[in-house]
Amino acid sequence: MTGYRYHEQHTPPPARQVTDVAVERFEHIFEVDPKLMTAHVAQQLFPNWDTLRIAASRGDHLEWMHRHWAYQVISAQELLDEIESEQPG
Amino acid sequence: MTDVPPRQSPAPEEQAGGAADTGHNGGNGHSPVTVEFLSEWRNAAYNCYSSGHKFCREVCPVMQVTRNENHTPTAFHANVVAMEQGELTVEDVAEDYVNCTQCGACELRCPNTLFTGDFYRFRTRTVDLVKRMRALAVDNGVHQPGYQRWNELTDERSHEPVLGDTPVSQEHVRDWAGGLDIPIGGETVLFVDCEAAFYRTSLPRAVAQILRRAGYEFGLMTEQWCCGGPAAEMGYRDQARRFAEHNLADWRAAGVRRVLVLDPHDYITFTEDYPEFFGDDFDIEIVLVVELLAQLIAEGRLTPTVPIERTITYHDPCRLNKRKGVWQEPRQILGAIPGLTFHDVDRVTQWSYCSGAGAGLPIERPEIARKISENRMDEAAQLEVDTLVSACPWSERPLAEAGQDRAIDVVDIHELLAESLGIDVGGRTRA
Repeated sequence: MTGYRYHEQHTPPPARQVTDVAVERFEHIFEVDPKLMTAHVAQQLFPNWDTLRIAASRGDHLEWMHRHWAYQVISAQELLDEIESEQPG
Repeated sequence: MTDVPPRQSPAPEEQAGGAADTGHNGGNGHSPVTVEFLSEWRNAAYNCYSSGHKFCREVCPVMQVTRNENHTPTAFHANVVAMEQGELTVEDVAEDYVNCTQCGACELRCPNTLFTGDFYRFRTRTVDLVKRMRALAVDNGVHQPGYQRWNELTDERSHEPVLGDTPVSQEHVRDWAGGLDIPIGGETVLFVDCEAAFYRTSLPRAVAQILRRAGYEFGLMTEQWCCGGPAAEMGYRDQARRFAEHNLADWRAAGVRRVLVLDPHDYITFTEDYPEFFGDDFDIEIVLVVELLAQLIAEGRLTPTVPIERTITYHDPCRLNKRKGVWQEPRQILGAIPGLTFHDVDRVTQWSYCSGAGAGLPIERPEIARKISENRMDEAAQLEVDTLVSACPWSERPLAEAGQDRAIDVVDIHELLAESLGIDVGGRTRA
């Protein structure tokens, strides 16, 4: 198995520009374009494991929240469709 | 800070997320080292102070016990604001910072980490702040008596002064391996933390014999010292670095390329402190044993067959679950052991659990640490289990003490696996 290696952790995948303000390095994990983080708040150095840990933890936490408190989980689009269908005409 | 070599670091304010245009140096009569600290941490402190969500409060194991607002992660950041404003000094607040196990729950649960940290590459770093504030106190001559004594003894002996039957000294650091004929050196070595090397000797014996069963070759260090992590956690950074330099030199002299780590605390030290100390020069691969064992089982190189008739729950060690996101592999190991009845508690619920044993809390605040251990075992008792399994040697002694009143055994996951593999490990088997 591959453990922690400094150089691997500090070599993020190449960034793919996905909007004017965001890039994607890992699948479904979006980041602000680093060019926008230079004037007031500088970015921290992030090893790859930390990005992946946070993203995975967020998913786990949201799933936990749904499991504990959500009667039903629906998408925003479903909400919009429902509102639209209720509007007259 | 995480993974930043000093000589290649961005400006200090970039480390903690400080602004380049602050115009504030936090002077106010502070010492130069304090001014530098405030410059580094002011922006992160204001980020917390101005957000004010305080989701950190209820996941904090210390706060659950003391309900003292001075012990909250929010207060740790607010103190920096107050220091910068000239309202407080490090002497005023240093003692508050002992009230932390550095479990990482607060910074993970903080929305500035959990929901935006990866997006901005800028997250809450309360653990780093606590370490730096403790170091700042030491740099200013403000010592906590227990921390000071512990690190003096560690410096004298090259190992932490853990209590037990084995004398803590360099000549005894490999006693745990007696009769196992493990070679010295090699491309891969097993690093054994102080608690396991001198007290929980059955644990490294279990790991060594499991690896041997799988045909995985490894050796031991020529002269292993304490990893230095506890010194870094308590603010004695120069000592931590000295210990790190010794261990790295030992590895290089023996041609070591890979270090196996069974203790989550060591894993943090080797993947966060050492990279910060050595930067690009840190070319040693660090492998967490519990991950390696899960892989060996998945590959069919280890097959536990001896049924273990216990009703268990699993304690997610903070430094694996919260700080590294390692929670699946231990469950994969437990799932492979026949006979177990497993009452699991999910990893997110366990963000608010802790053994209380981390970052020197039992040294300076043993009564708080003990209460945290009791809280953790109360949670286990509600599951009507007879055994709590952990993957962290430092958690197991305090949890075992709390478990006695609740008729719950505390067993290490490596030893449990060894038992199911039919290995009689020897050594001290109970926490």
